[in-house]
Amino acid sequence: MNALQGTLWGFVVVSALVQIAQVQHHRDLLQVWQAADKQRYLLLQEHTRLVLEKSTLLANGRVDQLARKQLNMKDPEQVQVLSE
Amino acid sequence: MTETSLEPQENSIVRWRFTLVLAVFALLLAVVLGRLVILHTVDQPFLFEQGEKRTVREEVQPASRGMITDRFGTPLAVSTPVVTLWLNPQQVNIQQLPAIAKDLDIPAHTLVKSVERAASQGRSFIYLKRQVEPDVAEKVLARRVAGVYGDEDFRRFYPAAEITAHTVGIVNIDGKGQEGLELAFDDYLRGHDGERKVVKDLYGNVIKQLEVNGVAENGPDMALTIDLRLQYLAYRELKAAVQQHRAKSGSAVIVDAHTGEVLALVSQPSYNPNNRATLKPEDMRNRAIADLIEPGSTMKPFTVAAALNSGRFFPSTQIDTSPGYVRVKNKTIRDHRDYGVLDITGIITKSSNVGVTYLAHKLGAEVIWDFFTKAGIGQPGVLGFPGEAVGVLPYPEQLDSLRLATASFGYGLAVSPLQLAQSYTAFAGGCRQSVRLIMRDEDKPACEPVMSAKVSRQILDMLETVTSDKGTGSRARVEGYRVGGKTGTAHKVGRGGYEDSAYTAVFAGIAPISDPDLVLVVVIDEPQGQEYYGGEVAAPVFSRIMGQALRLRQVAPDIPSKNTLQMAGGGA
Repeated sequence: MNALQGTLWGFVVVSALVQIAQVQHHRDLLQVWQAADKQRYLLLQEHTRLVLEKSTLLANGRVDQLARKQLNMKDPEQVQVLSE
Repeated sequence: MTETSLEPQENSIVRWRFTLVLAVFALLLAVVLGRLVILHTVDQPFLFEQGEKRTVREEVQPASRGMITDRFGTPLAVSTPVVTLWLNPQQVNIQQLPAIAKDLDIPAHTLVKSVERAASQGRSFIYLKRQVEPDVAEKVLARRVAGVYGDEDFRRFYPAAEITAHTVGIVNIDGKGQEGLELAFDDYLRGHDGERKVVKDLYGNVIKQLEVNGVAENGPDMALTIDLRLQYLAYRELKAAVQQHRAKSGSAVIVDAHTGEVLALVSQPSYNPNNRATLKPEDMRNRAIADLIEPGSTMKPFTVAAALNSGRFFPSTQIDTSPGYVRVKNKTIRDHRDYGVLDITGIITKSSNVGVTYLAHKLGAEVIWDFFTKAGIGQPGVLGFPGEAVGVLPYPEQLDSLRLATASFGYGLAVSPLQLAQSYTAFAGGCRQSVRLIMRDEDKPACEPVMSAKVSRQILDMLETVTSDKGTGSRARVEGYRVGGKTGTAHKVGRGGYEDSAYTAVFAGIAPISDPDLVLVVVIDEPQGQEYYGGEVAAPVFSRIMGQALRLRQVAPDIPSKNTLQMAGGGA
């Protein structure tokens, strides 16, 4: 009887220690996940910022204006076809 | 003697003091113990609830809304991460608010006032500022003011702004679709927010995750058939024309003649969806799909096609339109002048109302109605867009001789500019394509046969004569390309019937005639000034848009030019 009680108490103590370890492990993983999620958020932020910046720089209206004013380009007045 | 008599008295005082101190300590201990018992038994539910309220939070992780792009992946609507700042008036220290107000560029006294009012009302949540740029939010949160929190959020940006505003639409500040595709595909684009229960410290840091009720799933991206380059061209030319003619509004639609894909869909006036402060409801109307117009003479090619398709008429069939008018049910239908005897091609070239009336009466209401229906006239919405107009085409039994005559030249029925463009795809091979705005991986959908390929070719050749010197749409010509189309000038309907001085100028056309690539419809509503005919107002816009669009798509010119450059090493 005493041996059985001792074994059971042993299980209780071990399972309690395992639970403590698991909770700590969970919190550690949560910290890692939080850091990774923060990184994802920052990358998403950077990505969308760059997408918008690129769209702004390549906006058709802007390119049109630059081509006409800075490069003195114009619409073709005559049809000119390269033929073989 | 004296010393011995004092000793017992001193001992009794010490004992008494010791007992008193012990009793006080025991009493204090008992009070503490009693308080502990009360806190853990009587007050426990209340305290537990209050503790949970301050630390355990139901947190929503917002899903990023899917990006909308044009057919080549150019972004038209992008969601970018921002931070929504809020505070708990019960926890915040008022003295620290002016510094935060300065960071956020809001008046300090306004913020303090609103926080004090919210605190006095017992509220525990007010927005500090919504959708703040991340670097500004970081600056505010770095102050570590108790009771100030930041939640992840997304803000929608529209890089093409007013150029695609009507098509793409707009979302409200909560990221819910309000107009256009943003509304039509709101459920698809939105994705699913994540939900979890976490324990947070005073500064909002997550220290424990209790449960996860859903993982955030970002909305999928959506590619449109729109070509942003063509959209820009169409928008620029339409805007210029609307301003030049001081028109009330305008719209233009470019459709791929072979697939029905909508390449450009623009309306004027437009709006900037990035600036909600300047939104006006009247500017947000997508006139290319929400407005119905009487197509006027742009319907004549369908009447003529029905006649040719019946096998009873041929391009060379002669019809006498003298004396330039015809009486139908006590109404007079007139041509601009007496054109005399015209062949079928001449009816289109000269836009003869008398000629198409003759053809419609010969064919009968049933044949005309059936042909128009196959061509997509009077059909319900073609895109499934919110607010999309439903076309109007009277049933055959409603088409008496007068209504049949007017329908043959585009009065008494109604289409949206997009529906008209869809109908014109039938002239590129005889089969009407179903227009679509969303790119799909599936094979090209089956088209609706409307007329034989031979008849469609004959109609194309007739439409080309409209842009000749003899036709009404000569200003629609594009150098280097064979272009065909039909002008239309319809009186607008007012309260007292058709108005004498309000017109809708339309030009619907197709190019190049040798191998049709694009269908373009231009509508200018209520042009002011001397010019108001479709051939004067809409045709030049058609020419400019179509010419640039064909060159941009690298469509080979089908009119040999004298100025052709010879490639080095090529033939003579």
